[in-house]
Amino acid sequence: MKFTPELEFTGGRVKPLHYDDIDALFELYQHPEIPGQRPLTDKEHLNRMVDYSVQMAATQRGMMWAIEVDGQIQGMVSGFDWQPSHLRIMMRVDALPALTDEHRASALQVCLEFLQNKYHVRNFGYQWIEGQKESIKYCISTLGFECAAILRGAWRTGDTEFADVHQYHFISDKAKPVPKRLGDGDSPGQNLNSNGGNA
Amino acid sequence: MNWNFVTDHYLVRLPISETDSGALFNLLRQQAVCDHIPRTALAIESQATDELRRIALRFETREAAFWLIENEGTGELLARIGIQNINWMMLNAQLQWELSPACDLQVLQEVVPAILEFVFAELRLHRVEMRLRAGNTEHAEYLTALGFEAEGTLPAQFEFNSEDIALDIYSLISDKKF
Repeated sequence: MKFTPELEFTGGRVKPLHYDDIDALFELYQHPEIPGQRPLTDKEHLNRMVDYSVQMAATQRGMMWAIEVDGQIQGMVSGFDWQPSHLRIMMRVDALPALTDEHRASALQVCLEFLQNKYHVRNFGYQWIEGQKESIKYCISTLGFECAAILRGAWRTGDTEFADVHQYHFISDKAKPVPKRLGDGDSPGQNLNSNGGNA
Repeated sequence: MNWNFVTDHYLVRLPISETDSGALFNLLRQQAVCDHIPRTALAIESQATDELRRIALRFETREAAFWLIENEGTGELLARIGIQNINWMMLNAQLQWELSPACDLQVLQEVVPAILEFVFAELRLHRVEMRLRAGNTEHAEYLTALGFEAEGTLPAQFEFNSEDIALDIYSLISDKKF
């Protein structure tokens, strides 16, 4: 079964996480861009993360893609805290320093489009943590994200250190789905292989 | 750790599932008490019983704690005030309250600082926030008077009565150093 599609963007693609990518993902997690996050030490955790990425997508809890540019994994796009009934999700990109802001934006863009078209998600959040690269804020603003609130001290970076969280939202202008009679035309689990993968 | 305490005029205590459903129902049956969240008022008393059971379970898992605020002299239930979505890793939580018409700023100014002192000193949380339906000036004024600061408005958080609900965020940061 397949729940997370491969999506092309100019200069690269996003693709589901796979066990073959563990080494590349481990390298990615040696360069955490979130303040306070430590480099990963146990590669075994990534096997579990790949498992979770499938389970999360199957149950509409989240979705994770690897960002591949020139055949190299340079980052990840993650959707988490997915609230399907509220048509809402929080997005995040973790990237190696080599990933350009253009590729970061393009990768995030195709994932946003997929989630809008396939799952009718309308409200996309993105949390920029104080201490991250400033250019990320401009990068996501080009996709329509606007800063909605600055949450003081909402991100813990150490035992007694905290950073502000700048919470951005992008509200899709696509129409909300119209409820149908329950059972008509549904596709439980949204398995892309079983319904033609209308990504 | 003692989760119940007394202020000059009010008793701040954890609810008791077996005995508090009637009083809680009388509070939460009033739509005006829930409009700032927003949430639909309770319709039958068994919903209050269910709510008390849920609160007990959420308390046991340290996910939330709700207190009933009673007038110490008369025993009248004035409000329910609680913290929920406690994030023990980030050390923050969301404050929520439902206030009877008799619970005004004077009551809040006596009770809320006592609760926050407990939350910051005993639970050692760093940040408490409240989310209010955008534009609710009455509750916003209460929060401002209690020292909370407005941080912005989160759009389209959920639907309520066919409307997209935006939530204003207010927060208070602990000044305690551990």
